[in-house]
Amino acid sequence: MKRDPVVIIVVAMVVSLMLVIGMNLARKRTPPLEGPQGRGEVAPDFALQSLDGKTVHLSDFRGKAVLLNFWATWCAPCKIEMPWFVELQKEYGPQGLQIVGVAMDDASPTDIADFAKEMSVNYPVLIGKESVGDAYGGVQFLPETFYIDRNGRVVSRAFGLKGRGEIEDDIKKIVASNLVQAQKQVR
Amino acid sequence: MLNNIAKTAFFIAVSAALLYGQNPPGRKVPSVTLLPTPVANVFRGRGNPVELQFRVQSGFHINSNKPAAEYLIPTTLKIDAQTDIMLGGVTYPEGEQMSFAFAPEEKLSVYSGNFSLSVMVRPLASVLPGRYAFRGELKYQACDNAACYPPKKLPVRFEVKVVKPSPPRRKNPAQSPHVHN
Repeated sequence: MKRDPVVIIVVAMVVSLMLVIGMNLARKRTPPLEGPQGRGEVAPDFALQSLDGKTVHLSDFRGKAVLLNFWATWCAPCKIEMPWFVELQKEYGPQGLQIVGVAMDDASPTDIADFAKEMSVNYPVLIGKESVGDAYGGVQFLPETFYIDRNGRVVSRAFGLKGRGEIEDDIKKIVASNLVQAQKQVR
Repeated sequence: MLNNIAKTAFFIAVSAALLYGQNPPGRKVPSVTLLPTPVANVFRGRGNPVELQFRVQSGFHINSNKPAAEYLIPTTLKIDAQTDIMLGGVTYPEGEQMSFAFAPEEKLSVYSGNFSLSVMVRPLASVLPGRYAFRGELKYQACDNAACYPPKKLPVRFEVKVVKPSPPRRKNPAQSPHVHN
């Protein structure tokens, strides 16, 4: 049986078109991600141990712009971000930024502390718990970063490694926008 | 005919779209699978390498057995030993030296796509011939170009067939190299 090439081409085009439309429809039907999405939801509070054994609550940083970074020692992209966070903490700390690292790691606190020391981390690193990860949407992969304003609201959420410029832009937003909100509240 | 082709095309398109929709963009979960392993014949009283083939899902990589940095989690295979079938070491392939967008200047030693590990199986001379199953797990930690996923353990199962070694070939009696006149 001889097949008309025009028919085959038309069928191939129709299949491709259907695939594209179908994929877009399927994407739109995807259930929403769990945890705060960065639309102004209140960041879930937590109580976690710091590397020096103190109990730290997220609410301890209320009034500051918080970059909450979930990471692990085995995560190569997380290691790329850390020197940027160190620099950004130095640069934006005086403007009210507080970077907080949460290690979602099976490694011992000593190993995590050694790693943080090796990376010259200048911000608090907390020992993560699964329940805290769950409260933030499961944290199924790392790094994952939440940008929290001075009122404790999540204004953006970043999955995976982002460029330094993108991180800095998000930091500027939480520092600047929250200052405006703080002024409004004062008025 | 065109009608049939169109129906088939529609079915393929809908199925593909639904399958694609299971994993929203950026939220795919990496997987490593053990490819079907044919039952290997292993001889009693000697070491027999048995090859296990694994596949890393496209778009992901896992650390090799000797990752580039101490803090990275190596891929390891552990098989439960049996009493009368000894297991020797696992031979791991060398990792591919690859750099990724998150660290373009740093080379990581990784496995991606298909890779195979070799397990040395040595049945004692007293083992009864027959099929024997082994169980174990492959521990790996996967990443893509921008993120890493928690370490996982893949259950591994394979079978071998213990057979008697073939008897040594009977050599012909040596011929005298000398020419007798």
